[in-house]
Amino acid sequence: MMAVPRSIIGRRLADNIVKMISGSAAGLGILALAWILFEVFAKGAAAINWTFLTAMPTPPFIEGGGLANAIAGTLLMTAIATLIAVPIGLLAGVYLAEFGHENRLAVSVRFLANALMGTPSIIIGLFIYTLIVVPTRTFSGYAGALALAILMLPVIARTSEDILKLVPNELRESALALGVPRWRTTVGIVFRAAKSGLLTGVLLAVARVSGETAPLLFTALNSRLWISSLAEPTANLTVTIYKYAMSPYPDWQQKAWGASLLITAGVLVTTIAARLIIQRGRGGSGR
Amino acid sequence: MGKNRIEIPRVEVGDRSRTAVKFDALPSKISVSHLNFYYGKIQALHDNNLEFKQNYVTAIIGPSGCGKSTHIRVFNRIYQLYPEQRAEGEVIIDGEDVLRPSVDLLTLRKKVGMIFQKPTPFPMSVFENVAYGLRMHYKMNKSEMADRVVDALKRAALWEEVKDKLQKPGTALSGGQQQRLCIARAIAVEPAVLLMDEPCSALDPVATTKIEDLIDELRHNYTIVLVTHNMQQAARVSQFTAFFFEGRIIEFGTTSMIFTNPKEKQTEDYITGRFG
Amino acid sequence: MGQGTPKNRADLIFRWLSVACAIVVVVIIAGIFIELSRHSSLAFQQFGFNFLIDDNWDPVSHQFGAASSIYGTLVSTLIAMVIAVPMSLVIALFLVELAPPRLSRIIGGGIELLAAIPSIIYGMWGLFVFAPFMRDYVQPLLGDTLGFLPLFQGPPMGIGMLTAGIILALMILPFISAITRDVLQMVPKVVKESAYGVGATTWEVTRKVSLRYGLRGTIGAMFLGLGRAIGETMAVTFVIGNAAAISASLFAPSHTIASSLANEFAEAVEPLYSSSLVALGFILFVITIIFQGIAHLWLTRVRKSVEG
Repeated sequence: MMAVPRSIIGRRLADNIVKMISGSAAGLGILALAWILFEVFAKGAAAINWTFLTAMPTPPFIEGGGLANAIAGTLLMTAIATLIAVPIGLLAGVYLAEFGHENRLAVSVRFLANALMGTPSIIIGLFIYTLIVVPTRTFSGYAGALALAILMLPVIARTSEDILKLVPNELRESALALGVPRWRTTVGIVFRAAKSGLLTGVLLAVARVSGETAPLLFTALNSRLWISSLAEPTANLTVTIYKYAMSPYPDWQQKAWGASLLITAGVLVTTIAARLIIQRGRGGSGR
Repeated sequence: MGKNRIEIPRVEVGDRSRTAVKFDALPSKISVSHLNFYYGKIQALHDNNLEFKQNYVTAIIGPSGCGKSTHIRVFNRIYQLYPEQRAEGEVIIDGEDVLRPSVDLLTLRKKVGMIFQKPTPFPMSVFENVAYGLRMHYKMNKSEMADRVVDALKRAALWEEVKDKLQKPGTALSGGQQQRLCIARAIAVEPAVLLMDEPCSALDPVATTKIEDLIDELRHNYTIVLVTHNMQQAARVSQFTAFFFEGRIIEFGTTSMIFTNPKEKQTEDYITGRFG
Repeated sequence: MGQGTPKNRADLIFRWLSVACAIVVVVIIAGIFIELSRHSSLAFQQFGFNFLIDDNWDPVSHQFGAASSIYGTLVSTLIAMVIAVPMSLVIALFLVELAPPRLSRIIGGGIELLAAIPSIIYGMWGLFVFAPFMRDYVQPLLGDTLGFLPLFQGPPMGIGMLTAGIILALMILPFISAITRDVLQMVPKVVKESAYGVGATTWEVTRKVSLRYGLRGTIGAMFLGLGRAIGETMAVTFVIGNAAAISASLFAPSHTIASSLANEFAEAVEPLYSSSLVALGFILFVITIIFQGIAHLWLTRVRKSVEG
């Protein structure tokens, strides 16, 4: 009949155990991050020198050699993918935020964009393979860039939509009330107000896509030659890493680490830059 | 540039029949007839009929949600940004029914300017803010543009405070300055009508006084419609007042009459603070 | 004339351009569906429903059954979820309730960086650093202590199902913990304060109040993490060992749908082989879309119940 009080010591103990576990888990996560970054930088730095950055690939066991073509290929394909994906993604985001709102098309597009974002990148590569590589009978840098663009598109569309929605409606109405046409209101005023957020979305999409391997496996493939035409297999860093890492040759494996370092550094710098832009934008003219 | 100051006859409180004759003799800038407004299926304005006299300040007062803002947003058709909003009736500005589909919205919005509750400076410099509408509607060389911008800033009583800050971003100004910047931006394109939707509600008392003085000055060159929830402001600044309640116009008359001798009981209840 | 229809021609063009760009997304998804089903029809016609349950994947004898890939995909994902979900929950708890704000921001940022690291980098680290670590330290330990379980029997090779599962867990950890963090932060302060005010410990408040409040959002997070793990390619390809076999042991090598595609596509010249691979891809695509749909429906219900 008497209610027995639960032991405070027991409850405190459970609480402390969970607290310790939480801290340890967070520590483990950071440890993993540090471990990965350390290995990449340590092993990769050994491989990077001027030759690595400027020379063409050589067969294994031959001194020297570099990944100049792969570096150029990655940069080129990423740039083309960005040029394709940004205008389309931005305008899609404009539709979702400015015109469609919650109508049926907008709701469907939003869901499908999320689905596309969640689609494994290898499937996108497979898609471009069947769509373009098979009919044109060749692997190509264009196909690779297109696959990357499809990966970037939904990211840019959704982040643009979110950013544009944050611009207060009164700003739009002020411009319209002044007699500014709708398109100019959106492009001239709303975009300007959302500038840093839009840029961040693009940077995050670029960061995500520059480290992708799987979509390029079936589209751009790889090449030991310099890039003479994008309508042929095109050298790139990520597929090179795959090929070199899986090979039995130590000097190729070391080059794979060097390429990994380049990719990781590029992705991290872009991601951190994107985060800084958000923070600066928030602290700046938000009055 | 800028118009010459027009002298306007004072409207007297007096014998109702005499005021009525004087009222009808004054030219109407905006005539509203049988205006109904819908948000989707919900009707927000019911059979509004109203006249706004040229070069006078007409205040629109009423409790929250009574349709004041909705009413004036019909004049420049800004509601059309939202597909579920719809207006029926007649709104005649300078002899033209602006609710007709054939009306060119860009020209209408040049003629009818709007100031919002929250100051909305564009993300650009002070100078560019004022020049934005000018660039949109006119072709002019740099020096003429500069003249027009300076003139607008002077007429908005902002010039002295920003003359050495023209290249600073508009958002760097104080709240009251930002609102006057928005006014300068609106009057730069030489509108005939200024719609002001609670322009002082986000401002401190000092800034509010400056804007009220400005409104008093501005009316000599523009017709002003002032939506406000602040009755003292309406009494200070306007010559005519309309009292709205639940989407209907309960009473309309000269400001002094509405505030000292209202005809309707509802008006009196609102004025004396019994509700709203 | 409809309200809200711009009469200005430039405005009209602008609007229709934006609609067209939005429709591009729809077209792409439809395109993927069409192309993949077209190129996999050969395999499905040949093998029928058996394709899904036959575990014999033998390019030499032209026998292709997806069961071992599907098994590998499911088990590696399961391992990843078993590790990542509890870990994400307690990390989110740490970041929201326990850590001082500055520390929380720094550590939270660090965890989010885990998401930025490309899959192939995880693969490199997994193959050259983590797999040897597993082989030399962790797997022998597990074999000695838990070797009576068939799960931990067999030679410790480093690469294999377990290693792949652990690396996958690391990769989806930031996603699940970010969402759970948002969910925990959305619990209104007054609710938490009332719970603390009754004299509950931090863990009790979290378990009984915060998590229950945000349970649905957390489950949605889990679905999204699941969707990501299923499709991960490069990291898994590097460390799972590429063996078309179903084994009870977690130390054994295996393959997933994604890793098979990556590994074997270059050699699949023969039409039935390549069609079977595309068929695998088709199955993966359909599974992903289904999970996206479930997560979407679930999260929409969550939003409706929160907003009333």
